[in-house]
Amino acid sequence: MMNRFRGLCLLLTLLLGLPLAAQDARPSASNLSPQDSFQAMILTSKAVRQAIESIQPSLVTIESFGGVSVVQGRIGGIRKQGEGNTTGIIVSPEGHIVTSTFNFIQQPPVITVVTSDGTRHVAKMLGRDDTRKICMLKIDTGQEFPLPEMVPVDQMQVGQWAISLGVGYGDVNPAASVGIISAKNRVGGRAVQTDANISPANYGGPLLDIQGRLLGICVPMNPQSQAVGAGVEWYDSGIGFAIPLADADELLSGLKEGKRVYPAYLGILAMPNPEGQGVWIEQVVQGSPADRAGLAPEDVIVAIDGVDVRDMMQLRKILNRQQAGAQIELTLLTAEETEPKKIRLTLDRPPPPKGTPEPLEVPRIR
Amino acid sequence: MMRCNPYPKRLSRVGIAALLGIGLTVVLDGSGNLGQAQIENHVSQIFAEANQRMVKVYGASAGRVEGYATGFLVSADGLVMTTQGVFLDGNRVRILTADGVEHAASVIRRDRERQLALLKIEVEDANYFSLAEGDVGDKGDWVVAISNAFKVADKDEPLSATLGVISLRTTIEARLNRRDVAYKGDLVLIDPITSNPGAAGGVIVNLQGQLVGMIGKIINSSDTNTRLNYAVPTSSLEQFVANEKPDSQPVLAVSPPVELGIRLFTHGGRSSPAYIDRVSRGSPARQAGMKPDDLIISIGGTKIGNVKDYEQVVAGLKVGEEVIIVVKRGIELIRQPIIPVEKK
Repeated sequence: MMNRFRGLCLLLTLLLGLPLAAQDARPSASNLSPQDSFQAMILTSKAVRQAIESIQPSLVTIESFGGVSVVQGRIGGIRKQGEGNTTGIIVSPEGHIVTSTFNFIQQPPVITVVTSDGTRHVAKMLGRDDTRKICMLKIDTGQEFPLPEMVPVDQMQVGQWAISLGVGYGDVNPAASVGIISAKNRVGGRAVQTDANISPANYGGPLLDIQGRLLGICVPMNPQSQAVGAGVEWYDSGIGFAIPLADADELLSGLKEGKRVYPAYLGILAMPNPEGQGVWIEQVVQGSPADRAGLAPEDVIVAIDGVDVRDMMQLRKILNRQQAGAQIELTLLTAEETEPKKIRLTLDRPPPPKGTPEPLEVPRIR
Repeated sequence: MMRCNPYPKRLSRVGIAALLGIGLTVVLDGSGNLGQAQIENHVSQIFAEANQRMVKVYGASAGRVEGYATGFLVSADGLVMTTQGVFLDGNRVRILTADGVEHAASVIRRDRERQLALLKIEVEDANYFSLAEGDVGDKGDWVVAISNAFKVADKDEPLSATLGVISLRTTIEARLNRRDVAYKGDLVLIDPITSNPGAAGGVIVNLQGQLVGMIGKIINSSDTNTRLNYAVPTSSLEQFVANEKPDSQPVLAVSPPVELGIRLFTHGGRSSPAYIDRVSRGSPARQAGMKPDDLIISIGGTKIGNVKDYEQVVAGLKVGEEVIIVVKRGIELIRQPIIPVEKK
């Protein structure tokens, strides 16, 4: 059968001309014909539809009511957020939902969630993780929800299919985009990167593998910025991020208890060390963890937790992997001492950026 | 699987191809229909066939608005479908067919509501896309988007192709704020990025080479505040070319204004959430058990995000026609039927 098939291919090739011939000229490289590739694509589309269908019971639509009024253009220094619904994923049988913090920039006082059966429930906001841009909601329904299967990061492969889903365009039926996993361990090891379209249409929604298992939660991210909306400027650019949840039991239970996770902050103004390796401290912010631990201008940080700090970039990378509350050990060269000095300190959360108003309280109506 | 097909059938397909001579573009008959033999196509061949039927459109540029677009033939005698835009306002619209030959185009019809335009050039026996096939393509299906985005291709250079999938087939009614798109009806959202200058008027074809739709003008969704990548489906294009108006809603008999007996908190303006301030005695809202401080979540299935939404939805209700109102009281959602009465 196979031989006959190949013979036909050859015949077709002769008849149809060059494009096919170019491919058949190297039969040893692959036994696959263009017909096989066509079939594979058709089957891939079917698999994508099945994957989408299998996650639907865990997919919810999140609606918000009220909140900080949005001025045209920007809010909190980022692009104006849309007005539409957003997406979330149920992560516990009792109705815990993980979604993106981007969906709540306007701090809506009332959040409702529509589950896959079309029923609407009032949701409570629990914890949030500002380093991963995700937060936890909870609905009380009495019903038990099916859970998505989650893929651990070490089982993901760069190049495998990735499908992003979200209801942000307004239809209850989610819009899909298909791409691949582009990289793992991005943004301080917290995110996987994909070239599937990631945008406000699917922030908070799932990134799925071809079997419908959860690779991560789609979020806006930019490794250069910690701002809540940073990353939205890269929407639909081929650079998108998702937060894997498979190995995050501790994180998820913290969020269920209402814990808030902040990015790490050291509190120094630094520049490259002109005399070699390390980072030269130019200024120490008053009251910061660096200040409390006794770091002084002109000290040089040469290592953190035993890892050599060669340059500024690496310092940032190491700190990006930490979060507020974490303890680190700095190795310093100081003017007074000839031997390197070791200091332990606890990282804190960053102070609010200058010039921005205090975060608003949830507006109270009566 | 294809390879299990009986041998004679395959042979006959090959036979057809052989009889017709030299390859795919010839197998395509003038109607643009793809013969059975082409089911086994490759993206490169789909592209080559489509590119034959596509054109580059150049017109007047106005300020920062680009003076070019993509288009495609929809008849053998030179009807060209493209997007409506100011580039058609100039004295001269030029069209380059796939062979690089320049034609003067006349504008047959423009529709500002649907953002579509029909042009005409003088050609004979051209390859074209048939609009009569109706709508094809489901969510997740591979599609090739072909256009002259950014005017990258010049003269007889082939247009640019990008591969992606259909994200969602949807109607404007069901999704998107209506103010985003001028026309009602179906939309095909896609994931290849087509919201670029000059891409409008390009085609979206599926793996069988069938026309899924025409790439639409750049629009921003107010739901997401992002650019949309979408196509106007073939059936809408066919309607336009046949000079039919889109299905318009039957004209409603003027119904008297209604009320529910609810006064909202409007302290924060019309964009604040729809909290109930007062419920009139003997009103429909009172009968439905609405209370002050309830937050209205939805009426008749439409989300009420703020006071403005409430006013709009109530204005569309009819006297005596029961709808479901959902309010939030404490942490509970309460669903109640409510029957609007005529406004006094």
